[in-house]
Amino acid sequence: MSKIKLTINDKEVMVEEGQTILEVAKEVGVDIPVLCHHPALTNWGACRMCLVEVAGMRGLQTACTCPATEGMNIQTETEQAVNVRKFVLELLFSERNHYCMFCQMSGDCELQDAAYRYGLEHFTYPRPYEKFEIDASRKYFIQDPNRCILCSRCIRACAEIAANHTLNLKGRGAGTRVIADLDVPFGESTCIECGTCLQVCPTGALIDVRSAYGGREKDVTHTQTTCLQCSVGCQLDVVTRYARLLRVDGIFGAAPNDGLLCVKGRFEPLYDEERQRVQTPLVRKDGQLQECSWEEALPWVAEKLATGTAQGLAATATTNAAFQAFGKLFEKIGGPAGLLCGTLPELGYGKGATIPDVLAADYIVVAGAKPLTTHKVVGYFIKRAADNGATIALVGEPENELRSYAQLNVSYAEMDKVSVDIPDAAAVVVVYGAGLTAEGIAALKPLAEKAVFLGLEPGRNGRGAAAAGLAPLAPAPAETRLVLLGEHPVKAAWVEQLNGAFTVVQASYHSPLTEKADVVLPTPIWAERSGHVTNLEGQVLPLQAALELPSGVRDEAEVLVALAKLIG
Amino acid sequence: MEKITVASQWLESCAGCHMSFLDIDERIIELLKYVELSATPITDLKHPPKEGVTVGILTGGIGNEEHIAEAKLMRERCKILIAMGDCAVTGGICTMRNFFDKDAVLRRGYIETESTVDGVIPEHEDLPPLTEQVSGVDEIVPVDIYLPGCPPSADAIWYVLSELVAGRMPKLEGDVLKYGMDGG
Repeated sequence: MSKIKLTINDKEVMVEEGQTILEVAKEVGVDIPVLCHHPALTNWGACRMCLVEVAGMRGLQTACTCPATEGMNIQTETEQAVNVRKFVLELLFSERNHYCMFCQMSGDCELQDAAYRYGLEHFTYPRPYEKFEIDASRKYFIQDPNRCILCSRCIRACAEIAANHTLNLKGRGAGTRVIADLDVPFGESTCIECGTCLQVCPTGALIDVRSAYGGREKDVTHTQTTCLQCSVGCQLDVVTRYARLLRVDGIFGAAPNDGLLCVKGRFEPLYDEERQRVQTPLVRKDGQLQECSWEEALPWVAEKLATGTAQGLAATATTNAAFQAFGKLFEKIGGPAGLLCGTLPELGYGKGATIPDVLAADYIVVAGAKPLTTHKVVGYFIKRAADNGATIALVGEPENELRSYAQLNVSYAEMDKVSVDIPDAAAVVVVYGAGLTAEGIAALKPLAEKAVFLGLEPGRNGRGAAAAGLAPLAPAPAETRLVLLGEHPVKAAWVEQLNGAFTVVQASYHSPLTEKADVVLPTPIWAERSGHVTNLEGQVLPLQAALELPSGVRDEAEVLVALAKLIG
Repeated sequence: MEKITVASQWLESCAGCHMSFLDIDERIIELLKYVELSATPITDLKHPPKEGVTVGILTGGIGNEEHIAEAKLMRERCKILIAMGDCAVTGGICTMRNFFDKDAVLRRGYIETESTVDGVIPEHEDLPPLTEQVSGVDEIVPVDIYLPGCPPSADAIWYVLSELVAGRMPKLEGDVLKYGMDGG
């Protein structure tokens, strides 16, 4: 990239070529106000807040869309520019219900900030008090069009980031509204509730049900951690106030998910209120589970594990350190240890892909996987790649949920059609999952050289478990069984399979499995975890606790190490 | 130095703006060296005196005929009129009723409320009729200084009054310019 020289607010600067005036200004520390612009979205130039004067150019220019060029002389706060911005703000404030005192965004609102910046102390124009219906048909967030400034950030986020294209504008002028599909209630629309629109909204038009009025930016704490709901390893910005989880945001620019989340990561874990937390260790006495101390529970568990046969079974919703400690404990007592859940079939060929490879792909083959259900963010990335012109080919998956995005839908036997279809220079990614059969593995082999392979590991931290030497294991007769469950939901089959042994369950929530257990040891939930997980790419990603551990709860790894020590 | 005279009145208001004025605390002693408080809602004198005052302060929105009369009286009898608080500036929280018609609002308030049995909408010659919509003071009379906030902070009120005492027109910006609750 070559450098160009230009002048901004009388200061001469050298900057990279190919940037907009807004980007240049940001780089050199000149603050130009924006409303419709968002760094993660394409530039729009709709709101006219960023208008600046450029010597020799007719009228004012939108800094967010105007390319910075050699020799430009830019003034960002001239009387004319400031007056136009004020005028734009006065019109925006007169259009709808922009009363800060009854809005949850007051204090963190970008429209309010702009009005403060330009000293708007009253409304210049009368308000029409037109009433737009509020849409509360979705569980997690509400749309209030009365506070919308029609900046279209939500529409662009839905199209460009989530590749879902649910949102659009309807109507003209002051009556324009953001609608879902052909103007149906959001809850009945194609919305996938990824919440990206909610995160980028500059005003109070999209309202997060849980965190509304729960705390201003100045009151809250942000903690970056890794999502534990599947193996993608999305980076989360967990927003807390005191000991309360307020909200989860995506982090733009952070790999692997670059700010995009799904409903399972952003919303569902915050609403896990039907399940009851296990607060203290519990032991069965006289047929009843009764509270007891760790000091009482651990020696008893250690004694049971050390005498007679023992088997260890783990779900995949815990940390690398816990899996390591689990493996070591059973190595020590000489019993088998493994996983309750299945894992990916072994390909035996091909180079691994990263999640961003999906976005950069020209050709994506999907086999034995349902990413839009199991690894949603990867699914959205595939849709995004398709929007950008990538070809999607389904192999051995005629009814796959991605079929409406696929140009090619063939059986394993017709794999040669795919091979012929792939252009020479294409970046090819094969996305496969636990559904891939032996026939599928053989069928995909011709792509071994040409493609990179992204395996959608079905276990949440399945790669972390595999690294600790844990593989799927069927429950076998044993005198004592230790189940490392964590916060993983319990499958009915597990409860049946785990009959007939003295059962110790490490679990975050009460479940049919803990009801049958002889000892229950409480474990942290996702937001309380520190340590690491390994995502489906094989990246080791950090977990940082956003909440303190409740007083009766201990980290599994620590407990497993203590048990090993007690056994001696 | 002659003291400047100040009168205030509340219209469709919760009285929070006057509370915030009292929150200037001991600075009121300093203020009273330069200012004579004339009519206020919490003094015996309820209406600005005929001879007029220098500064008139109105809090609350315009929601009924009485508010219109009070706003006009204050405007006639003061040189500088301050619209204090979000309700006086924009109509504020009282404008929530503007999304419904007046009769529906009265019905909801006096008849349909869950706790009401055999409710009636009160009518009496002493009761001022509601306006069709709630508005800020400036839709009825010209305003010289807008001091938004719900309520404006004591510091913002102190800033405006002390600037006026010093003979300057206050310019609302930075920390003294807030909408809604102080600091959001």
